[in-house]
Amino acid sequence: MNKHLRRIFYLFSAGFVALVGVLAYWQVYAKQSLADNPNNGLQSRREVQAPRGLILANNGQTVLAKSVKNGSEYKRVYPQGPLYANVVGYWSQRYGATGMELGENSNLSATAEPRTLDELINQMSGGPQPGNNVELTLDPKLQRLSYNLIKNSSSGQGSVVALDPRTGEIKAMVSYPSYDPNNIDKRFPQIEKDPNHPLLDRAAQGLYVPGSIMKTITAAAALEKGVKPTDVFNDPGSYYPMGAGYAVTNYKGASYGNVTFTKALDLSINVIFAKVAVEHVGAKALYDMAQKFGFGDTYDQFPLQVTPSSMGPPPSKWDNNYLATAAFGQAQVQTNTFEMAQVVGAIANGGVMMQPRIVKEVRSPEGVILDRPHPSVKRRVLDPQTDETLNQMLRSVVTQGDAGGAKIPGVAVAGKTGTAETPSGAPNAWFISYAPANNPRIAVAVLIENGGDSETHAVPLAQKIMAAALKETQH
Amino acid sequence: MARRATIPLILALLITALGFATLIVVRGATSPPLIYGASYAGMLIIVYIVTRVWLPHADALLLAVVALLTGIGLVMIFRLTYDVKGIENLATTQVLWILIGSAVLLFIVLFFRNYERLFDYKYLFALAAIVFMASVATPLGYEVNGAKLWLHLGPVSIQPSEFARIALVIFYAGYLADKREVMAATSRSFLGIQLPALKYFGPVAAVWVASLVLLVLENDLGDSLLFFAVPLLMLYVATGRAAYVILGVILFAIGALAAYNFVGHVQLRVEAWLNPWPHAQQQCCYQVVQSLFNIADGGITGTGLGAGFSQTIPEVQTDFIFASVASEFGLLGATVVLLAFLVFVYRGIKISMLAQDPASKLLAFGVTAMFAIQTLIIVGGVTKAIPLTGVTLPFVSYGGSSVVGSFVLTGLLLVISEKAGKAFGSESAYKGA
Repeated sequence: MNKHLRRIFYLFSAGFVALVGVLAYWQVYAKQSLADNPNNGLQSRREVQAPRGLILANNGQTVLAKSVKNGSEYKRVYPQGPLYANVVGYWSQRYGATGMELGENSNLSATAEPRTLDELINQMSGGPQPGNNVELTLDPKLQRLSYNLIKNSSSGQGSVVALDPRTGEIKAMVSYPSYDPNNIDKRFPQIEKDPNHPLLDRAAQGLYVPGSIMKTITAAAALEKGVKPTDVFNDPGSYYPMGAGYAVTNYKGASYGNVTFTKALDLSINVIFAKVAVEHVGAKALYDMAQKFGFGDTYDQFPLQVTPSSMGPPPSKWDNNYLATAAFGQAQVQTNTFEMAQVVGAIANGGVMMQPRIVKEVRSPEGVILDRPHPSVKRRVLDPQTDETLNQMLRSVVTQGDAGGAKIPGVAVAGKTGTAETPSGAPNAWFISYAPANNPRIAVAVLIENGGDSETHAVPLAQKIMAAALKETQH
Repeated sequence: MARRATIPLILALLITALGFATLIVVRGATSPPLIYGASYAGMLIIVYIVTRVWLPHADALLLAVVALLTGIGLVMIFRLTYDVKGIENLATTQVLWILIGSAVLLFIVLFFRNYERLFDYKYLFALAAIVFMASVATPLGYEVNGAKLWLHLGPVSIQPSEFARIALVIFYAGYLADKREVMAATSRSFLGIQLPALKYFGPVAAVWVASLVLLVLENDLGDSLLFFAVPLLMLYVATGRAAYVILGVILFAIGALAAYNFVGHVQLRVEAWLNPWPHAQQQCCYQVVQSLFNIADGGITGTGLGAGFSQTIPEVQTDFIFASVASEFGLLGATVVLLAFLVFVYRGIKISMLAQDPASKLLAFGVTAMFAIQTLIIVGGVTKAIPLTGVTLPFVSYGGSSVVGSFVLTGLLLVISEKAGKAFGSESAYKGA
């Protein structure tokens, strides 16, 4: 009998070992996927019992989000209210999370894996584990200035993205109208119903007709195809891309006669850009250039949600009418200030696009730096020579062309206006620019939705933001 | 035989005290009346001393393991219920069950040293077990969560199957010990398979089938699995014929298939096992999904005592208490608890191997197998390794019938180990066995 008893003991032992294996599967291998299961409410239960990390502006002082003790639980408070709402987002037990609250949740939440010995000890003793603090690259002065400029703009609807082209750090990212993320559980139903859609981050999630700012990309594609800034083109006032039928005309029906390519950009002449696109660039090259500049990119490494900009259907489906109108940012081309800031930032940075960054550093509650992302190159978009040529052309837009309002005393500025026809109401007023043009430290994209013409309604705003930014970085 | 286990027992009691201290000091739980803690510890120490004096050759390590498991159970029950309105006194009630269980265990230790006499009444035990299990079908029985398992007896409600299993193990051990030789011998062959005389199987098969039918009718799937497997393994040990186990597995497959097709309850259980995730919020699967969320939440080191959220599992203090342990003590703590069970099972098998007569061997083995399989069934169930069937985790789960029944089984193991140890004489011989 003992032989059989022993066998059965081995069988039982195998059963117990198997159970340890099953436990290890759930507790180690499948731990994260179970934590991420949408039906798993344990994390949010834990999160209200320990403070989430702070979200701070780039000075390390301005608090954008903090947790305040309220009885046995913690409540999320946003001292800056609507000013940063599109970036910081909200964190709600009931409505989930958006913005940085979502994108940096693994750092902010009290459930992050321990990364220091202190954290490990704290976690093992079961103490409440506060989240890590996330410091953003946003500059509070630029953010507030940009916010007020959009708020007081002609239509009171729009967005701004300002970045340092050398590092890709976002210095300001504003969307207006905004909302107050405090007490979101109570306010959410009302905010959601607001006809102005304050929950939409117009800077990165909205999509808008770009109009003439698109000519920067068309110009880049043309330069790569061998068009020279000094080449002379004739503008009779209209151009028939298909030879007959639809005709491209200029803004307000103007005609300019013989002009150089530089002048065509200075004065934003649609007819010449349509002609260049059809006769020198071609659909695929224009499309590819836009993709290289970031169209179609979801910027997955960026912690905020970014709606990819679009050139419309693939180039194989374009006819010459589509190509001609896409060349000056009409057709079905759609973008936003986030993407256009990347475009103008890449041109400012010698043709090299940097990875956009909004997290400056992550610190443990005790102040230990856990992560400090370094600037990294996303890709080279233009070779240095082409880029320098384009730079000179964009400077000329400010000195000789229609963007004179962007001038800053003692500083060379480069930029491109855009007054984009929209299906409804006044045109979108755009301006993309950077300064100092010989050694750029700031790049800005401004959009006033249905704001009117660019020169009066967008250019002065960008000028103020650049001037303020340069003053900041001098010290 | 580890006759002495003073240090393990003291350690077990200290661990329990530490658990309560943590909950009271760190978590700010209101202390339960100290008298309960004192009487719990005092009773276990008395049981230990009486066993050491009265049964000097018995395996007292079993008592240390029982102290550890009941202690962990008490800490977890207290932690899970002290702040829940309506059940805030469950831990102190569990102490009462442990006191009653210990009293019965003492009774067995003191008066059943000659446990062999029990085998004289084996048929009576079988009859009592069947009648007792059938009694839930009378107006005295009532239903909880779709399974009619409970019996009202005045102020207390008891779960007959917890006690019927004791009687059945005694019956199987007594009967199989008597008939093991004729059952092992083959008398004729059918289609080339050697078959033993069927008449010897009559009584054991009748009891086996009757108990299973009752449990299936009562929807008590966990116990039916237990009452199916334990006799089968006892038959294997008694006769040494693996064919019985194979036959049993085939019967099980047929039975399981039939149950799957004809008992709606079973189908739901299997579906809840195979893919509970889409039904996470529905009744079929809520409990097991919450169990897995909490187990996963524990990770390797656990959330810390009192810092988990296993109260999201409905009725966590009974069948699902292991999920709570895994959540708060992590993989490491849960493994320690499983190891404690394995130590218990190891000692039980050892007692069975050292016992001199077949009936004692089979009784010790049956009791041990009962504990082992019950633990495997419920831990497997809460971890979704096998379909969930409701049985308690011995000693740890809340529940009077379960606690008292487990203490009775432990008492039987103690008296068997006393006789086996005495017969074997020296400790070294025991170790070498």
